[in-house]
Amino acid sequence: MSINSLILRNLKKNLRNYYLYVFALIFSSGLYFAFVTLRYDKAMDPVEGSIKGGAAISTASILLLFIVAVFLLYANTIFIKQRSKEIGLFQLIGMTKNKIFRLLSAENAILYFGSLIIGVALGFAGSKLLIMILFKVTGVEGIASLSFSSRALLQTLIVFLCIYALIMLMNILFIKRQTILSLFHVKSKTEMTARKLSVFQVIIGVFGIALIAVGYVVSGKLFDGDFSSMIELFGAMFFILFCVILGTYLFYKGSVAFLVSLIRKQKGGYLNIKQVLSLSSIMFRMKSNAMLLTIITTVSALAIGLLSLSYITFYSAEDTAYNYTGGEDFSLLTESDADTFRQAMDDNNIAFTEDKAEVYTVQLNIDDILQTELELNFNASMMDTAVISEKAAGVDVAPDELKLTGYNELLQRFMSLKDEGDVTVHGKETETALHYTGLEDEYPISNYYTMGGLPTMIVDDALFQELKQDINPDLNQGYHWYFGYTIDDDAQLQRANDLFNGLDLEARDNSESRIDILEDQKSTIGLTLFIVGFLGLTFLITSGCILYFKQMDEAESEKPNYTILRKLGFTTTDLRRGIQRKQLFNFGIPLIIGLLHSYFAVQSGWFLFGSVMLTPMIVVMVIYTLLYSIFGILSVVHYNKVIKQSL
Amino acid sequence: MGILEATRIQKNYGNKFNKQEVLRGVDLSIEEGEFVGIMGSSGSGKTTLLNVLSSIDRASGGTILIQNNEITNMKENQLAEFRKNHLGFVFQDYNLLDTLTVKENILLPLSIKKVPKKEADRKFEEVASQLGIMELQNKYPSEISGGQKQRTSAARAFIHEPSIIFADEPTGALDSKSASDLLNKLSSLNANRKATIVMVTHDPAAASYCSRVIFIKDGQIYTQLNKGQQERQAFFKDIMSTQGVLSGVQNEH
Repeated sequence: MSINSLILRNLKKNLRNYYLYVFALIFSSGLYFAFVTLRYDKAMDPVEGSIKGGAAISTASILLLFIVAVFLLYANTIFIKQRSKEIGLFQLIGMTKNKIFRLLSAENAILYFGSLIIGVALGFAGSKLLIMILFKVTGVEGIASLSFSSRALLQTLIVFLCIYALIMLMNILFIKRQTILSLFHVKSKTEMTARKLSVFQVIIGVFGIALIAVGYVVSGKLFDGDFSSMIELFGAMFFILFCVILGTYLFYKGSVAFLVSLIRKQKGGYLNIKQVLSLSSIMFRMKSNAMLLTIITTVSALAIGLLSLSYITFYSAEDTAYNYTGGEDFSLLTESDADTFRQAMDDNNIAFTEDKAEVYTVQLNIDDILQTELELNFNASMMDTAVISEKAAGVDVAPDELKLTGYNELLQRFMSLKDEGDVTVHGKETETALHYTGLEDEYPISNYYTMGGLPTMIVDDALFQELKQDINPDLNQGYHWYFGYTIDDDAQLQRANDLFNGLDLEARDNSESRIDILEDQKSTIGLTLFIVGFLGLTFLITSGCILYFKQMDEAESEKPNYTILRKLGFTTTDLRRGIQRKQLFNFGIPLIIGLLHSYFAVQSGWFLFGSVMLTPMIVVMVIYTLLYSIFGILSVVHYNKVIKQSL
Repeated sequence: MGILEATRIQKNYGNKFNKQEVLRGVDLSIEEGEFVGIMGSSGSGKTTLLNVLSSIDRASGGTILIQNNEITNMKENQLAEFRKNHLGFVFQDYNLLDTLTVKENILLPLSIKKVPKKEADRKFEEVASQLGIMELQNKYPSEISGGQKQRTSAARAFIHEPSIIFADEPTGALDSKSASDLLNKLSSLNANRKATIVMVTHDPAAASYCSRVIFIKDGQIYTQLNKGQQERQAFFKDIMSTQGVLSGVQNEH
């Protein structure tokens, strides 16, 4: 048999075993090429130019490259380890190491560059799809026509050639280091030796869980005012990261084994098949893979966290836009502007609802109701606050009572208010003592008055009239009216918006249209969301593949165990159930830890990004979990095959 | 009626163009409480015979009855069911799960049968003390010696009181001290528990512990020896000389 036919035969055999490797290669090269194509495309110019997306895209492409490289190198280690016996055999029949290396390289090259070509082709097709999605989410108008970029192709080829060179280097080192004898033994050398749990490990285990818990607790307090300066805040963030990552590592190194051994101890040596296959194997394997699992968990947590945060921003855009306009479609500030607007709507037969309020600014002393205080440049005894009458707000307020409404989530974190307390309103000359009774969610007036989410005061109408007489003119030089309009028929909203934008208004700059704000927000966040989503998907697929490869490897080394168990009289169904349980742990533990990490990360700072947390976060987590479980299911399928062959 | 009745067992490998007959019609009958040795040179088919008898491999022809259960045409799941109730195994390479402790390994067959935990513990103590591995119970296989592993493996085979225990070269990987130690334990278990043991071996010394030795040559039973009232030494000499004839070399003793 000539070398060439040997290569071809090996290839055929390996293709069947490593379809996922090939898939991963195709996928990662496709993804990379699509990304680079996007980067060099003219259609992207407005996006890149508008928000300095260029920098974001190149950072993302470097990160992407890094993930792909690590992933391919890892896949290769498993790939070559599985073939160590074959390499030993070639050596035994007198092939030189160089010749074996050439054989492997040729084989790898066909597989690698074949996948690369397919990947690039798919990537080009995919980039069209991507750019359409991108324009859809950002709302940037553009022609979704892409030209084939030779620059992108060149970059992709160079990058993947470098990775190929690295892989070859790894193979050389592997082959050079091995002797014939050791090659035959690589597989049988298990990566673990079962030993009794030492006291040291118990300590590590408990310490790991404790570290994670400390990290979580501190993360919950991050913005509660305990850390008031920027340096302290960064220090705390670093501390959390350190605790959680080290904790995760120790968790895999010791805690899993510790918890499992507690369960086993309680069983008194009497384990059923599910426990035999799941508990005992996990106990030792997690320990020896602690590093890998920590990386996977951290990467997943990062991906889920980033995806959640960007989705929170995107999802909250609608809310933010409503808060800007005081809960209406359009907000205006003067009587004459309102007239112009109403006229324009009437002329075009667009029905609308009006909502108006007279607004003044007074100074409010909130010293008594302030719960926490950061060291900010802010005077709590003289806070400029917009005031409206109970009539305009549509709520009932007693004469000596004060209600606040529409307080931005983010500001609330830095300056949280008590549930009730005494406050003083400063007019020009008089001071009025009022009893604060609570915070409402509504935003009754537009952003012009609330300045990005400061609360609005609602007082008794009689008091409002008094305050109006005693207004401090220094604080009230601008507008005094708020007009909000909601278009009755959603279908006419776009036309109303066009008309609104064509109007000649006095207070043009401070009049808002909700859908314009929304679109503006989306185009800002859209690109970030797109890039993060892209990277998140890559994280997901690479970490899923790595776990799957790991399981393939593990299945191979556990095959003798299945043989024993089947000889003892366990049916394949018994074994399958045990394996399902095992995979639930193998994939479930890193996933759950990753989800928990990202939950606490998002929890600690989500209000910096938007106004709704739960729904967008859950959506991201559910989608992530579903995609991730595909790899778990694939691995169970692979195990079933191994079990079937084991007797 | 013996506990195991095999008639005209055949086992072929390969396809119809290139057929390799490993077993060519073996008839075998084993009584309850017997300790039977199967001997033969490499390639004689003794391990295949054991695998076929123990339902791990399927026979190409013939019938096998164990306690009046016909196992030759059972389905895969029925076989597993049968194995867990009626058979015990001891292998040359121990076949212990290295992620389980000695005790967990030994209790495995009971956990398949869902024996109550208390009873399992009682049985464990009984068999472990007989084999002298009580104090090892919380150790992992990687922490104990080969002889101890093989005794663990034997304990696992005996614990659920199977009808027959199949042992495939159980002393193959042991030094002579551990080997004789194990064989003594096996024969005392055979005597005390009335356990039926079928052991494949190529070591005449190991075979001399048996009550009967069957010699296989080229897939057929060549002859068999009964120990009867003989001393082990005398039986050993008989076995040696038979083996000499079998391999075509005249024994000098």
